[in-house]
Amino acid sequence: MLRDIFITPFVDMWTAPDFLMQVLWEGLVSGILYALIALGFVLIFRSSRIFNFAQGIMVVFAALTLVGLYAMGVPAWICVILTLGVMFLLAVAIERVVLRPLVGQPDIILFMATIGVTLFLIGFGEIIFGGENKVMITEELGIPTDSYLLEPFGGLLILEQKDITAVAVAAMLVVGLLVFLNRTRMGRAIRALGDDHQAALSVGISLQTIWVLVWFIAGIIALVTGIAWGARAGVSFALEVIAYKALPVLMLGGLESIAGAIIGGLMIGMLEKLFEIYWGQPLLGGNTETWFAFVLALIVLLFRPQGLFGERIIERV
Amino acid sequence: MKHFTKWAAAAAMALAGTAVAAEGIYAPNLSYRTGPFAATGIPLMNGQADYINMLNARDGGIGGVMIDFDECETGYSTQKGVECYEKTKGKAVVTQPWSTGITLQVLPKTNVDQIPILAPGYGFSPMSDGKTFSWAFNAPAGYWDAASMIVQYLEGMGDLNGKKIAFLHLDHPYGKEPIPVFEALAAAKGFEFLPIPVGLKEMQNQSAQWLQIRRERPDNVVMWGWGAMNAGAITEAVKTKYPMENFIGVWWSGHNADLAIVGEKGKGYKSISWSFPNMDAPVMADIQKYIVAEGKTKSNETEMQGVFYGRGIVISAILAEGIRVAQAEYGVGEISAEQLRWGLENLNFTAERIDELGLTGMMLPFSTSCSNHTGHSGGWMLEWDGEKFVKVSDHLKADVASYAALAGEKAAEYAAANAPWPMNDGC
Repeated sequence: MLRDIFITPFVDMWTAPDFLMQVLWEGLVSGILYALIALGFVLIFRSSRIFNFAQGIMVVFAALTLVGLYAMGVPAWICVILTLGVMFLLAVAIERVVLRPLVGQPDIILFMATIGVTLFLIGFGEIIFGGENKVMITEELGIPTDSYLLEPFGGLLILEQKDITAVAVAAMLVVGLLVFLNRTRMGRAIRALGDDHQAALSVGISLQTIWVLVWFIAGIIALVTGIAWGARAGVSFALEVIAYKALPVLMLGGLESIAGAIIGGLMIGMLEKLFEIYWGQPLLGGNTETWFAFVLALIVLLFRPQGLFGERIIERV
Repeated sequence: MKHFTKWAAAAAMALAGTAVAAEGIYAPNLSYRTGPFAATGIPLMNGQADYINMLNARDGGIGGVMIDFDECETGYSTQKGVECYEKTKGKAVVTQPWSTGITLQVLPKTNVDQIPILAPGYGFSPMSDGKTFSWAFNAPAGYWDAASMIVQYLEGMGDLNGKKIAFLHLDHPYGKEPIPVFEALAAAKGFEFLPIPVGLKEMQNQSAQWLQIRRERPDNVVMWGWGAMNAGAITEAVKTKYPMENFIGVWWSGHNADLAIVGEKGKGYKSISWSFPNMDAPVMADIQKYIVAEGKTKSNETEMQGVFYGRGIVISAILAEGIRVAQAEYGVGEISAEQLRWGLENLNFTAERIDELGLTGMMLPFSTSCSNHTGHSGGWMLEWDGEKFVKVSDHLKADVASYAALAGEKAAEYAAANAPWPMNDGC
């Protein structure tokens, strides 16, 4: 037994390095997509202290809008622009109808409101688009769908071009987001609001504008995530459950840290894949990905309750 | 002669039906048009509803009594399914739970409420034992039949001794259902059986499961998927270059829309099935005339050509036949749940009867009895040709005798675990 835990997995990694590379690549692809979803949560939480339960359904809604518009005969790239327009309108509607009347209410009320938004979007989405699985317009968007077959160490490494595209686009989005938050006036306003609401308001930062902005950015992230995940197995309401994979990422990385969301996502994506392949499947019958990330996050919380990158809260009594 | 008299009585009732001012037979369906499994549910529910609505429009219902075909949405959630059962059981003559999880939950309740469960091709496989499960029916075939037919088909391709078969399944009661039979068959035929579970949250990202398949190099992969899991598995199989001709799914993993995502690349993928879509069958012309042309369908042309829509029609045809048989036996139009139970227990779908119903080529002959609630119709092996499913086998029949003892054992175990459990000793 001890041999199976401490020796065999490493021997397997050493003897089949191409397979190890494949495991790490799959973990990286999953991880970057987890990170993207987690970023949507973090952005909204930083600026408004709202834990946005609707992030998962926003991924579905954005992807469905995209393929729905395309089915109506709209050219693919125009569909992307129109979908961004829909996500902007959604952000405005959420701010006007849901959030603005609840300003000053306890955090739990705002959290419950996002559950309401989730349920509304599920029902509304199903009425408009139906619940059938739909094909993502991958090729129509110019995303390549072939694979690179590499032979490292005389083995086989399959790299799907759409996965490479997803990783590249996600990385660009993250960099763009960091530049926006750190180098632009609006970005600094978002960070200021996250640091201290009252102080930010006192210097003239508009709460309403910032909320619309962050929900719109979360909508952009949702669209990119929806395209990337939808390209893998189609677009359906099942995509919503992927948002739950972001929860341990947030626990690990901290709810307020953009770097935490990215590093946490990548760590969980790769570690859960390594654990599943080298320990979970041989020793525990597999399907450890369902719980591994949560256990890892709980262990981290034991030692760092604010997560790896979260801010330590010191309250003076 | 007696049989003729019953049919004549039923026909007379049909003629007099409107004068009787029938309230209708309430036949609810615990549907799942929403949630992660909706992709599987929608075409099935559409096929079911269109067939019953067609009977209402064409014949004025069954035996002159309109069928009140109601849907209660569960989203495939066991909890919501039980709520739907409780909500509809008051006047329902049948419950169609649509998930193995829901079926297992309502199974003991139906004994008390005396409502038959109709679970065509799903549910708890030992429900075939009518003596123990007098209120449950999974005709025309159960999951253990599917396991037996798949192994039989693979054996037809070559000796299974020493081979390895991976079992990619949803980590859910449904996915685990055939494991005892596969294990018994593995022991008997000398192949290695490798279960690979897929969690609900991993349905659309099965890279870990397919990495395991790449590492283990199984000769065949058998899939027990539902909803979004099917498309996830098929796209991963294409991605990892697994030979599609060695990949076989159960009947809930043979949905045209899932294969359409990969198109030509999915060529060779197979699915065992007890139903087949036949657009030339007379029933399709009637649905076109009475439902589609009247704008009463929720379906569309592409979906109607698919396996799942056709299966929905067959499922409702089984229910309708059960109602007809009960009406004929008891000489009443508005049958009770108990009378429908008798009807479902005395189904006799001969080849001639299938033709009479306009279902030619869409299903296989079977009959049920007091002790046999499954019917074991057998099925066909279907194959994806890049655009649609086609039949690639003759009529396959499950080796029911090989797991009859196991079915009896599991049924007895279930009854003991839920004691006191009423048995139908008359069987």
